[in-house]
Amino acid sequence: MANPSKHEYLDSAVLGRLMALPLHARTAMLGSISGKHRSPVKGSSLEFAQYRKYVPGDDTRRLDWRTWGRSDRFYIKEFEADTNLRLCLMVDSSGSMGFGGVGKTRLDYGRRLGGTLAYLAAQQGDAVGMWQVGDRPLEIPAKRGSSHLRVVLDQLGALEAEGETTLLASLHEAAEKIRQRALVVVISDLFVSPLELKSALQHLLFRRHDVVVFQLLEQVELDFDFDRPARFLDMEGGEAVLADPTMVVKRYREAVRLYLREMDEVIATTGVDYHRVKLHEKYDDVLARFLLGRTPKRAAR
Amino acid sequence: MSFLQPILLIGLPLAALPVIIHLIHLRRRRSVQWAAMIFLRAAQKMNKGFSKLRQWLILALRVLAVAALIFLVSRPLAGGLLGLTGGAPDTVIILLDRSASMEQENLESGFSKRTAGLEKISEAIRSTVGNRSRLVLIDSARVEPLEIEEAEELLDHPLTGETGTAADVPELLQAALDYITTNQSGRTDIWVLSDLRRSDWDAGGGRWDALRGGFASLPGVRFHLLSYGEPVGANMGVVVDGVVRRDTAEGAELLLDLRLSRSERAVEPETVPVRFVVDGLGSSHEVEFRDSQLVLQGYRLPIDRATQQGWGRVEIPGDGYRGDDVFHFVYDEPPVLKSAVISGSPEEVGPLRAILSSPADPSRRHEVAVFAPERAAEIEWDETALIVWQAPIPAGDSILRQQLENHVMAGRALVFLPPEGGDGGGFMGMSWGEWDTGGEGEGVEWWRSDAGLLANTQDGSALPVGELEVLRHRVIEGEGAPLARMAGGERLLTRAVAEAPGSVYFLGTLAGSGSSGLARDGVVLYALLHRALGEGARGLGKAQQRWASATALGSDEKEEWKAIDGREGVLRSDLSLSPGIVQRGDLLVALNRPPEEDRFEAVGRSALDELFEGLDYQVIAESLGDEGSLASEVWRTFLILVGAALLAEALLCMPARRERSVEEGRMEEAA
Repeated sequence: MANPSKHEYLDSAVLGRLMALPLHARTAMLGSISGKHRSPVKGSSLEFAQYRKYVPGDDTRRLDWRTWGRSDRFYIKEFEADTNLRLCLMVDSSGSMGFGGVGKTRLDYGRRLGGTLAYLAAQQGDAVGMWQVGDRPLEIPAKRGSSHLRVVLDQLGALEAEGETTLLASLHEAAEKIRQRALVVVISDLFVSPLELKSALQHLLFRRHDVVVFQLLEQVELDFDFDRPARFLDMEGGEAVLADPTMVVKRYREAVRLYLREMDEVIATTGVDYHRVKLHEKYDDVLARFLLGRTPKRAAR
Repeated sequence: MSFLQPILLIGLPLAALPVIIHLIHLRRRRSVQWAAMIFLRAAQKMNKGFSKLRQWLILALRVLAVAALIFLVSRPLAGGLLGLTGGAPDTVIILLDRSASMEQENLESGFSKRTAGLEKISEAIRSTVGNRSRLVLIDSARVEPLEIEEAEELLDHPLTGETGTAADVPELLQAALDYITTNQSGRTDIWVLSDLRRSDWDAGGGRWDALRGGFASLPGVRFHLLSYGEPVGANMGVVVDGVVRRDTAEGAELLLDLRLSRSERAVEPETVPVRFVVDGLGSSHEVEFRDSQLVLQGYRLPIDRATQQGWGRVEIPGDGYRGDDVFHFVYDEPPVLKSAVISGSPEEVGPLRAILSSPADPSRRHEVAVFAPERAAEIEWDETALIVWQAPIPAGDSILRQQLENHVMAGRALVFLPPEGGDGGGFMGMSWGEWDTGGEGEGVEWWRSDAGLLANTQDGSALPVGELEVLRHRVIEGEGAPLARMAGGERLLTRAVAEAPGSVYFLGTLAGSGSSGLARDGVVLYALLHRALGEGARGLGKAQQRWASATALGSDEKEEWKAIDGREGVLRSDLSLSPGIVQRGDLLVALNRPPEEDRFEAVGRSALDELFEGLDYQVIAESLGDEGSLASEVWRTFLILVGAALLAEALLCMPARRERSVEEGRMEEAA
């Protein structure tokens, strides 16, 4: 397993604390090996699933002889299969992710979230992959193994916020490229049109992926609390805007409210697992909330 | 528009400062790395309306404030006076009130109302009109239009100098109207410089209607009334009501009736040194003033027994109105106050004779001669001060009429009473109309109480003119200055406006024969006739008291008059205009300011508005303490503009009330 101490953004204490909370997929996963997650195919776990009629070619070892004795018919006894999941981190590395103080940028926060999740998933035997969303796209396919995790964590640590966002295109691309069902975790500020985002999320859902969205926002971005006129430079390289906050704050907040309202509608429509995160919140709390929220309601086997 | 400090207009480009500062600020604004541009751009897009306009408004108001400030310090001379309302007019007429009261002066600056006003008008015309307009001066003493080359001439022109006369403002305006009409002067600005004395303006007179109508029919005539209505501080004046020479056991003496008055009503007792100068020899006497008026009856001044005729003056310490600090007098053997009554009606003669033979002044002899109309030629023309004529007016080419005109030209008085039949033509523009017997006991609605035959008494009490009952009267036709009107507006007593030293009155009703209550309530008739007699008597004897005026010394004989009493500096042509003693042969004349110049009542603003109703006029109320130029009006306007622009800018810049945060907004929406 990768050593957390080699990656500054990982906190061993947080990892230790969160280790007790397993990461569950909300939908059945198609893993390659046995794991902790429900699979759409029947397997050999202890949990009974169903009876079905024997067809030639079935493994005769799965015949339920007691049923044959009672009914003189051949039935195969099927059990639920447990498999592993593929965790696919989609981390936005556009310029806007660099917002925030030194060491406290949005990207830093996202790095901690993603890295911790990757570590937790790998710990429970899941495959971990990563998509870098930005000017310089990078795809690391989901694989198991500590060496692969190290690659993912290294790449996560090397991310730099720059360039324009390509989030929507990347989501569509991921929907097409990730062949098997996966837990797709999107970490971004989501400064895109909610309607267009809805389309991209629906694309992912259509491919039966379990989609989790962490939207990272700074409080000042919502309130626009400035006292003096300033030149606002677009962190993604767009045209700068001269604005007197006292004159635009009302409209700004209106725009934010409208955006959030539309975003709420998108979430309600698509049903993705959405988490709006303020950067002043502790990321371990956010993750704990996230993990607890995904714990199955029925009793664990 | 022009400016007193045009050099400062170089700074006008400074008005662009707000724009430059705005642009610099645009460059110097701190830069903020911002991620949520999606919201900022949306906000900018939503912010197009008033907020965008507000920014431009703020910038425009700042530019306006700086520009107005620069204009302000450049001292603009136009707004509302000349320039802002349409450039230089074709003609500028200056109507100058040269009355004695215009010589009230500010003791600190030494400027009188006349000199200060002329200075300001000159400066205003020079700065706004320059030499682009024709300048015409009409002064109240001569009432003759005179074209001048430059506005500076107003300051030292002989026709703008000091006088001791009264002014007739309606006459001045009439002269201006005549000038405009005759010369087709085009767009005309009329400047009127006056201290608004009620007696000078004759606001109740009948000439104003005609004047208003005349000016209203002329396009492009504007009035600028530069007024000095406020009296200048505390004032004390002296008047000599009578001088009598009499022999005594020791020699001879003059008995002077003095009247001293001061403007304050309730003031501390004050000792005033009074200086008497008789035939060049001076003496002083101190009197104690306890009230607002002090009357000294029969104040004795010893003179040489051999001196039968002489002159003198009474002086009190100078104050803000030096014109009433000196009063000149002459003395001689007093002439008999002769009057003549021409009437064929014994009923009328009775009361007239009784009144005119009753002496108002016991020291004077009064004689009344009564003649039937056909014997009017027997009047002692040279010795008669007053003629009361109740008969048809003599025809225009008769000797009798010529003698009547000579009588008036010699400074005597003539009172016409309405004849029962026939009118005989007019006299000095006045004539008789029809008898009006329709009224049953009509009263007198208005009379002139500040000057003239029906003026208030010396102690300020009004004559009981309002109690008069007029049963029948004859219409007075022609132009003249009304002194009394009846309830229907008909004139009862009118003074003919004539360029003659004497006075001509038309009284529209009779004393006897039941025409009016004049004889029954004799006070009014007594005052009226004795005042007319007093006016006429000024032209009698070898020592005469006259009021300074252009016609005070007659119109053709100025060359023979010479000034004594130290007035060598006065032009011979102006001798009659200023107070002093003049002599012609053995005739001594004391010229003094008219009594109405000692009254300080001014025409109010509302009365002015009525007088100039329907005309384009502007009143500029000045006081002698105000040393600023007339441009200060515009200066204030720009100051107000600066203040208003800054205030509006501040209001627009005021931060909006606290906006609810996004969370608060969402919670409210959810609720």
